[in-house]
Amino acid sequence: MSTAIVEVSNLSRVYRDVTALDGVSLTLERDKIYGLLGRNGAGKTTLMSILTAQGFASSGEVRVFGEHPYENEQVLSRLCFIRESQKYPDDFKPIHAFKAAALFYQNWDHALAAQLAQDFALPMKRRIKKLSRGQLSAVGVIIGLASRAELTFFDEPYLGLDAVARQLFYDRLLADYAEFPRTIVLSSHLIDEVANLLEHVIIIDQGRILVDDDADNIRGSAVSIAGPAHLVESFAAGRAVLHRESIGALLALTLDGALTAAERREAQELGLELAPVSLQQIVIRKTLDAGASLGSDGSFEDPTDIERKETQMGASR
Amino acid sequence: MIDDSRPIFLQIAEMIENDIVDGVLAEEAQVPSTNEFAAFHRINPATAAKGVNRLVDDGILYKKRGIGMFVAAGARSVLIGRRREDFYEQFLRPMAREACKLGIDNQQLLTMLGRVAATESDAPAAMEKEGVQ
Amino acid sequence: MNRALGVAKMQLINKWTFLGIPAIILGSAFALTLAIWAMLPASAVTGIKYSGAGQAVMWYFFALGIQSLTLTFPFAQGLSVSRRNFFLGTVGLFTVVAAGVAALYVVLGQLELRSNGWGMNGRIFALQWVADQPWFVQLFFYFVLMMFLFLLGFWGATLYKRWQATGLLVSGLSLALILVAAFGLITWQGSWAQVGSWIVSLTPLSLGVVALGLSAALGVGAFLTLRRATP
Repeated sequence: MSTAIVEVSNLSRVYRDVTALDGVSLTLERDKIYGLLGRNGAGKTTLMSILTAQGFASSGEVRVFGEHPYENEQVLSRLCFIRESQKYPDDFKPIHAFKAAALFYQNWDHALAAQLAQDFALPMKRRIKKLSRGQLSAVGVIIGLASRAELTFFDEPYLGLDAVARQLFYDRLLADYAEFPRTIVLSSHLIDEVANLLEHVIIIDQGRILVDDDADNIRGSAVSIAGPAHLVESFAAGRAVLHRESIGALLALTLDGALTAAERREAQELGLELAPVSLQQIVIRKTLDAGASLGSDGSFEDPTDIERKETQMGASR
Repeated sequence: MIDDSRPIFLQIAEMIENDIVDGVLAEEAQVPSTNEFAAFHRINPATAAKGVNRLVDDGILYKKRGIGMFVAAGARSVLIGRRREDFYEQFLRPMAREACKLGIDNQQLLTMLGRVAATESDAPAAMEKEGVQ
Repeated sequence: MNRALGVAKMQLINKWTFLGIPAIILGSAFALTLAIWAMLPASAVTGIKYSGAGQAVMWYFFALGIQSLTLTFPFAQGLSVSRRNFFLGTVGLFTVVAAGVAALYVVLGQLELRSNGWGMNGRIFALQWVADQPWFVQLFFYFVLMMFLFLLGFWGATLYKRWQATGLLVSGLSLALILVAAFGLITWQGSWAQVGSWIVSLTPLSLGVVALGLSAALGVGAFLTLRRATP
């Protein structure tokens, strides 16, 4: 039923001494909303840049709509990727940016753009250079939504937007998606806010894909269990522990994998407290966990080192 | 509302089931569209559709092509029947366990249940009589 | 719709950049020059008064070459325009603008001559060396000169986009090296006299042909650099 529109295999991107993407393979299917989640500098923007031929891969294969996107108008005309740090011509006002977008997107919906600009209280005739961070984000969000491109990327679209404006974006995204289904990739590190919008989740960390699964499979794929330390330990014996926290004789563990009904009952009978783990918590546990285990086998530098390199990488661009 | 404990499609299915059991959604009544569910709960439409389709597969809802989803005839009694089965696992066992912990014997437990039935005028006494399993 | 044409239209969305500002620069430089001439006491200058005001617009196009790349290229990438179409649309638009401005120069030069230098015996557009040539040579000369300036700015900006300051530094140094080597070669061969006579013998036509060759090289260089540039 669903068909792959993006196929990536073994994609890597190396900037001098920093590996931004490290052997990434993934598939995106038609008309789904994807979450591309991970920390700052995890490789999200690099991946989206390469998929839209704005950036270049060091090695690996990329197919978008079955073809390589580089200099391929057939493919490019169906993509939209306004990056978080998108630059606009100096003398442009939002109205100019929208007019420009209308030139290149055949499905461009002018009425929707005007409506959204009103909703976001975006001054159409102020120079983009002089807009606030939130208003700048709104320009990108509006282009992304009104372009109705078959494959649309939103790169941290909420920066500078207040809670009301963010909710507005999520609501408009859902409404427009329901009416005009298309493939949407939402890159974010505010995971709890977008979790319910996503059909599929890709978690990326240090350039590698950690999780690539349906959101509903991940939801409930971890459970937090708390109680007297010895009881918790014996219950958790043999299970993968994502995280552990203790206060005195009390122990709280985050366990990987869902509990069966029988296990749930067993935990209750032991008087242990069960609590759900949010998608954001799962991502945090898994990325921290991955960082630690990668560091221990010596194949990766320690986190402070990586951070230093990320700033270098940003500067070299 | 939606929480993080379980897949959202299951939660959507359960919400619809609850509405049918409570009589909010009458049999043969039209169910909101998946896009309406998605907008209301702020969830992915495909996920909402998965929850609804689960109930269609289950025979609780049925599709009228080009019109929408409707509650199947007899859906309520099917659901109530199932819930009675669950009632034993979900409520009676934990209750018995807690009662045992507190030293409440079976006789006292029954008396207490009688008291509840007297105060909760709506609580259908039939449930006790029919028993569970 | 052709997407290269779309790029040209995008560059023109804000009419000021490509049309309004050059018109203002040209108009105000012209008016200012006339005003200054009018204020000069007749005894102060004898003969023809020359002004460099006409060049002002050309230098603006050099800056425009830089600007149309640095800011419009990243935005065009955001709108999924290929690098090829961005290049074709931008350079194509500039070709049209340069042709238009060149024609304007020729026409203004003619007006200048026929109005006895705007009634004040001044020369802004009809500079003798060029104005002596037939109109089509003048047109060609102005056109090529503007293309050269624009592409110089455009390629410079592309180099910067792709390799940042290092790119500009390296290309600047290599250019300096080539010049030094050429000078050295000329000195070694003792052929400065020939070079001197070559320069003297240059006509707007032959200089235009040289500039055309350089512009073509700049254009190709800019395109090849842009092919791998990231926004």
